[in-house]
Amino acid sequence: MARAPRGSGSARRPRARAAAPCETVRSGLSAAPARALDAPTSEASGPAVSPQPAGLRECAATTPRFRIFVIDSGWNSPAHKVLQENFGLIRELQKDDPIYVLSKEQSIEFIRHHQERIGREPIIAVHDLAAMDKSGTTDFHGFRLHLGLLRTPQQALLALQNFTRFLSTHRQSVDLEAEIRTDLRREGLAGAIEIVLHHEAREIGE
Amino acid sequence: MPERWSDYVAILMSALAVGYLVYEIDRRRRKLHDIFDVLDADDAHITAGLEAMVASGELRPYAGATLA
Repeated sequence: MARAPRGSGSARRPRARAAAPCETVRSGLSAAPARALDAPTSEASGPAVSPQPAGLRECAATTPRFRIFVIDSGWNSPAHKVLQENFGLIRELQKDDPIYVLSKEQSIEFIRHHQERIGREPIIAVHDLAAMDKSGTTDFHGFRLHLGLLRTPQQALLALQNFTRFLSTHRQSVDLEAEIRTDLRREGLAGAIEIVLHHEAREIGE
Repeated sequence: MPERWSDYVAILMSALAVGYLVYEIDRRRRKLHDIFDVLDADDAHITAGLEAMVASGELRPYAGATLA
């Protein structure tokens, strides 16, 4: 469904903070300012998780592709607990991208301004810096997970694992939007097949 | 045209089955999109808010190992 662009979303990120694709950085722009701003030096030099060629791994280790935001106003929910318990591991697996965790007060204030999201927290929003460099926020510019919609710890953990895997395996993606939409279509098709086969409800999406 | 009432029942049941299938697929698709979806123009104001917090220094990359 086509969505009307909003005026507030037209701002592009400054070109000097370009993050990806990797070739752009290699061809002339220095990644150092972005790294200094986005993440502590010790974190930015961590090992890449996804299996990549050495050149790409080096690039991935120095240039953040994503900005990850965690918004959690603190509902006493299974998703909240799962996120708390597994955040350390996620942090280790996503060392190459800065993670911004809103405090409880910041999250509540944020949710107060976006009331349609109440009850969907914890929310993990991922901004694709490469997409934002290309088209600002008027078009595809990342993805988000409404972890709070998942009702059981198992569902929340599985979603978190899938999400982390997705982040790791798509850091070098040239057309991330197409890959996400393909994955979503595949999920829809898998759901249809399960319905036809009268399987039990899927772990995610129920 | 079907000649027996049982044919009508079969057609009705088939239509109901197909309708249910379409409904269920659509329900699951919407649920999945509720949980996981892309950020686009509709989310621009939220993105702008978060980016503004980063730009202003209100948000810094999280350095802790665990959530408080």
